[in-house]
Amino acid sequence: MQAAVGSPADAPTAPVLSIGAVIKRFGPLTVLDHCSLDVAESEIVTLLGPSGCGKTTLLRCVAGFWKPDGGEILIDGADMVRAPVNRRPVGVVFQSYALFPHLTVAQNVGYGLKVRGMRRAETARRVDAALQTVSLTGFEDRYPAQLSGGQQQRVAIARVLVLEPRVLLLDEPFNALDAKLRGNMQVELRQLIKRLGMTAIFVTHDQEEALTMSDRIAVMRDGRIEQVAPAEDVFDRPASAYVADFIGSSNFLETYAEGGRAALPDGQSVPTELSGPVRVMARPHNLQLTPGEGGPWRGTIVFHRAVGALTEYHVKAADGVTVRAVAMRQGETRTIAEGTPVSLAILEPAHCAVYEA
Amino acid sequence: MADAALRGHADRQGFGEWLLDKLVSGRGIWPAVPAIVVLMVVAVIPFAILLSLGFSDIVVSRGAIVSQTFSLDHLTNALSDSLYWTTFYRSMTLALSTMALCLLFGYPAAYLFLIGSPWVRRLILILVIAPLLTSGIVRTYAWLVILGGRGVVNSALIDIGLIERPLRIVNTHWAVLIGMVQIHLPVMILPLIAVMSRHDRRLDEASANLGASRLYTLRKVILPLSAPGIGTGCALVFTLSYTTFVVPQLLGGGNYLNAATMIYEQVIFSLDWSKGSVSSLILMVTCLIVLVAIALITNLFTRWTKGREA
Repeated sequence: MQAAVGSPADAPTAPVLSIGAVIKRFGPLTVLDHCSLDVAESEIVTLLGPSGCGKTTLLRCVAGFWKPDGGEILIDGADMVRAPVNRRPVGVVFQSYALFPHLTVAQNVGYGLKVRGMRRAETARRVDAALQTVSLTGFEDRYPAQLSGGQQQRVAIARVLVLEPRVLLLDEPFNALDAKLRGNMQVELRQLIKRLGMTAIFVTHDQEEALTMSDRIAVMRDGRIEQVAPAEDVFDRPASAYVADFIGSSNFLETYAEGGRAALPDGQSVPTELSGPVRVMARPHNLQLTPGEGGPWRGTIVFHRAVGALTEYHVKAADGVTVRAVAMRQGETRTIAEGTPVSLAILEPAHCAVYEA
Repeated sequence: MADAALRGHADRQGFGEWLLDKLVSGRGIWPAVPAIVVLMVVAVIPFAILLSLGFSDIVVSRGAIVSQTFSLDHLTNALSDSLYWTTFYRSMTLALSTMALCLLFGYPAAYLFLIGSPWVRRLILILVIAPLLTSGIVRTYAWLVILGGRGVVNSALIDIGLIERPLRIVNTHWAVLIGMVQIHLPVMILPLIAVMSRHDRRLDEASANLGASRLYTLRKVILPLSAPGIGTGCALVFTLSYTTFVVPQLLGGGNYLNAATMIYEQVIFSLDWSKGSVSSLILMVTCLIVLVAIALITNLFTRWTKGREA
């Protein structure tokens, strides 16, 4: 995580990729609305958002498949908007991999080198090296249709790695893989990109994938970038209620703020600059349940289920709002039965975020 | 007696149901049986009769065959006659050049279909299919008007000042070739469009992303992947133009002899069915040889599809 950069201004060197106020319209629809993002050397930034938020559009603008209607895209300070697709130092790994079905694995990986007119011996040497990097030695003469999904993905990665692009663009590369393989490939791919010291932009709608893969996450909403921050920050200090809601599960508590503090239902309070009606976001793991009616914030367990080593509780509070809490199941701690009256408390008020109502 | 009749009826109904069941839901060759039966009746049997005429000496009396004895004379006569060789050579070169020109003019149209917007695609499809709605004879006559001494082409060339007197185009090899290419162009374009509409454009994006120009992508990605369509189009255009009769007959002005017009003359004017039969056989065999060659060459370029199941 050393490569993580808090904000572009803190970066010691100029960003490799600089996206400035990019606009993209399709007819009357504005798909990208002044998107700005800087990516530093050897950094992996994820564009995260629901489908239709413009994340793939932004990626395709950087790759050059689509021309933005406004704004600038710079790589190492050089303008990319007017650069033709095939002259940009970017490598794209497509969602469907887009391997050439009529070429063997070696021919697919060597395609870009052949385009550049590289000599045969040198091409073969680099293809071998690239296939070794993705552990596909021995598959040179197979056709893509003869490979599994995971192997096809690795060919797609080797095909762009061999060209040593300045920026690697990955468009939901795990979508076509089954869940178990996906988890392994995520860790493997992150380690590979880090080992090669590559700068990458990664597109996904899966928050877990984003948390696994990235140094920084850019959460997108309706063509705008809502927050860019290191993975932990996006989760712990979401910049808006939207981000909080999108990443991880969250409880929103309607309350009131005055004199620089927002009141919490359990009697505690959190500091805030807002005043008037506010919404306080508390993560489920920040809520503590105690059987009995000891505290000021009471409720009843209406549902519980085991999620791995944790138990998730749905508690219907006295004011009618249902909140979610999780607790570790360990040692003597027993699962609290449904219908049990409990009192709720916030463990760390400082970890709550306050938003305008 | 009544029992037997009843049982026979039941058997017949059983057979009918069994046959219907086989035809509708049978495996293997069964669903093709009706088509095979029709083909046997309308194509194979008449052709067998025709062939038998080519390999026998027949004596015709009052419009009926009275004796028929096996003989290879017609075939050996045909093969030693230089008229056959020049005629079939002419047919072959005409068909192959029609095929090549159709591919040359048809492929860009198909490429435009691939890269075009939905409206361009619709327009191309309409333009390709519209000519098929008129008869080939009408279109051939249209060419007579266009290419004639006072036709559009000659008038235009004279107006520009390129020539002083009208060129003689109609009744030449060139008129036949122009007509053939125009008539058969849709048959080439349609299979190409079929392949193009299934083409994954992300492959073109990937190719561009890897540094390839549009031309390089066309040569190394789009062209090889459209090989099946090229093969189908070439096979169709070749077969149709190798065996065509109308275009050479009309645009060649009666003095352009290709295989089909020769067979027509042998059968209609010379009333020599044996000669016509042998010519048909040669036409069919040579056509098949070229079709097999086209199939083999196409296979060479689509080897990658074979590994699918592995």
